[in-house]
Amino acid sequence: MEKEGFWGQQWQATGAKLPPELNSGSAASDQLPQCFLNLNWKQPMAHDADFESALSSLVSSPCSNPPASADGSSIGELIGRLGGICNSNDISASSPYPSADASCYSTPLNSPPKLNLSVMDHRQQGRGGPPMPVNRVPGPQLGPFSAEPGFEDGAARLSCFAGRSSGSFAGQFGFLDPGNLSEASRSQCPKAGFGSCVGVGQSRSERPAHLEMKMRPKIDGSSTAEESEVGNGPEESSLSDRMTAEASSLRGITDNNSGKWKTATKRKGRRAPLSSSATNPPANMTEEESSDAKRCKTADRKGGAKNEVAKPKTEKNGHPGHREGKDNDHQPPEPPKDYIHVRARRGQATDAHSLAERVRREKISKRMKFLQDLVPGCNKVTGKAVMLDEIINYVQSLQRQIEFLSMKLATLNPQTDVSMENLLRKDIYQSRGPMPQPVFPAEIGTVLSYAHQPQTIALQSIVTSGLEAQFSLNSLQSSLRQSQSLQHATTDAYTDASSQLGGLWEDDLQNVAQTGFGQNHGQTHTGHLKIEL
Amino acid sequence: MDEKHDHRAMFSSERGHDGFVERSRRIKMAAEMGLARSSRGRHWSRALRRRLLRRKGATSGGSCGCKDDSSSSKTVEELGVGENEDDAVEVEARVHALQRLVPGGEELGVERLFEETADYIEALQGQVSAMRALACLLDELERDKRVMSG
Repeated sequence: MEKEGFWGQQWQATGAKLPPELNSGSAASDQLPQCFLNLNWKQPMAHDADFESALSSLVSSPCSNPPASADGSSIGELIGRLGGICNSNDISASSPYPSADASCYSTPLNSPPKLNLSVMDHRQQGRGGPPMPVNRVPGPQLGPFSAEPGFEDGAARLSCFAGRSSGSFAGQFGFLDPGNLSEASRSQCPKAGFGSCVGVGQSRSERPAHLEMKMRPKIDGSSTAEESEVGNGPEESSLSDRMTAEASSLRGITDNNSGKWKTATKRKGRRAPLSSSATNPPANMTEEESSDAKRCKTADRKGGAKNEVAKPKTEKNGHPGHREGKDNDHQPPEPPKDYIHVRARRGQATDAHSLAERVRREKISKRMKFLQDLVPGCNKVTGKAVMLDEIINYVQSLQRQIEFLSMKLATLNPQTDVSMENLLRKDIYQSRGPMPQPVFPAEIGTVLSYAHQPQTIALQSIVTSGLEAQFSLNSLQSSLRQSQSLQHATTDAYTDASSQLGGLWEDDLQNVAQTGFGQNHGQTHTGHLKIEL
Repeated sequence: MDEKHDHRAMFSSERGHDGFVERSRRIKMAAEMGLARSSRGRHWSRALRRRLLRRKGATSGGSCGCKDDSSSSKTVEELGVGENEDDAVEVEARVHALQRLVPGGEELGVERLFEETADYIEALQGQVSAMRALACLLDELERDKRVMSG
């Protein structure tokens, strides 16, 4: 194929340059994207099929290269690093919330472990050689990003493209048969760590868990349009950002190509005014901020062509693109500063009010998610009203339980002084023994609770201490069975108690208990109580 | 002596039904105080303390440094992204119910309300487990007492 020939040339040309550059890192990004950029140029509006076939041929061509392994490894490294970005983007995009509100605030609880897993898996994949530097948790917490973001972006683009074409990258890396396109892409993407390779429509994968998490099952083509767009959009933006950071000379190309890239990807399913978007994205790209938060947010974009136009307007960050690029250089992707840099979603109003609204709504949904985790059995429930119902029921049931338990405690509470005395004698003084601290409060609580008036105080202390230091009931019971003479215990217990209690209790709690004891001064078991404290 | 104890216990329980009620109420109040104390610095815990102190008749030591980000003006419509009217109304009703449940919730907006609810739920869970443990403990004590004296 002439295409192949051309691309092969390009590839080899760039490939030859790649290895040394890869090591250096930053410059490599120029090379990789360049080949793609060229590709884009030559096929600005390539039909999907042609595109993909071309891509596959492009991808496969390196296979024939003698230094394929070397290239492959270096490319693999590239891809690996880029995987981080894609992962983060995709994960944020794949939050369980309805796509409309897919938020990159998917709880940190959820994202990091899975990200780690996928990343680790990729590393373990026996990629031909280079240890994948994807040992960081991509995502909104993109702290440890490599210093070669542009590099990564190039790789991301590359891999994603390859993925989409179910490229033989996999073959190159020795993953799968190049012939088996879907599988190749499927395997490659996860291995590359590219959630963004979602666009390839890989629902079944070798590692379904990761894939499911990272890529929503997508059917090649239409349904994935949005996802791929979403997945690629952020990449593109980040890529473009990085590109500008790394090589200003490339910027023009990058922007153009990214725009076309986006166009091409969008064509998968979107009948958006690509022509317009083609021109817009470049402008957008340059202005984009590189922060991951932004990328996440772009991932949240809903479908709609307006986004293209909206983006520059909604860009709250007024920095010119090149400056942002420089920021990229200096800092790894910053944590989201959503109060400033909010990106408008597709098809949504972009004025300040609605943006603030959206941020608020995202916060609220984040909190609802947290509540969902807190309330048992709420995972399957969807919908705010039902969730709220569950939460209300749960709170009510907890309150009722407390009431019931307090009544039960009231019945259990011995009502006569004699019994209380017995109790005190029996139970309280194991202060001698190596009593674990948590045991103490419970016992003291017991004592206090049996001590008549300061019942409330006792319970407060019990409850508080119970909340702060969980009792071990077993130890309590064992200590209860010990019986020690009261008098012996007295002085010893006092010192023991005070020393043990010191660190454990709140100050006011002690005060309360002491006042409680003060009230009991005149009574027989006062001595015991004092000791307890 | 055991019989005496039992007798007395029975006697007091019969006589003290009101006492029992009173006691359980006091215990509950104590539990709530403990709950409020265990997580200070939360809006709901301050509100709870205020409520309890008010009941006790004391003046509230209003260390209310709480600023409500007061989104009380923010309505539930902001909750839903595009829900229908009916949904919004439903959700709003539930939010109101939640506000009544969580101490101090009425003043809070939805965002803060959820935060406080989460914290409140956690505290409630802790308290329930603490009280349950205490009840078990007392049960054991009672049993031991009976065993010892019996």
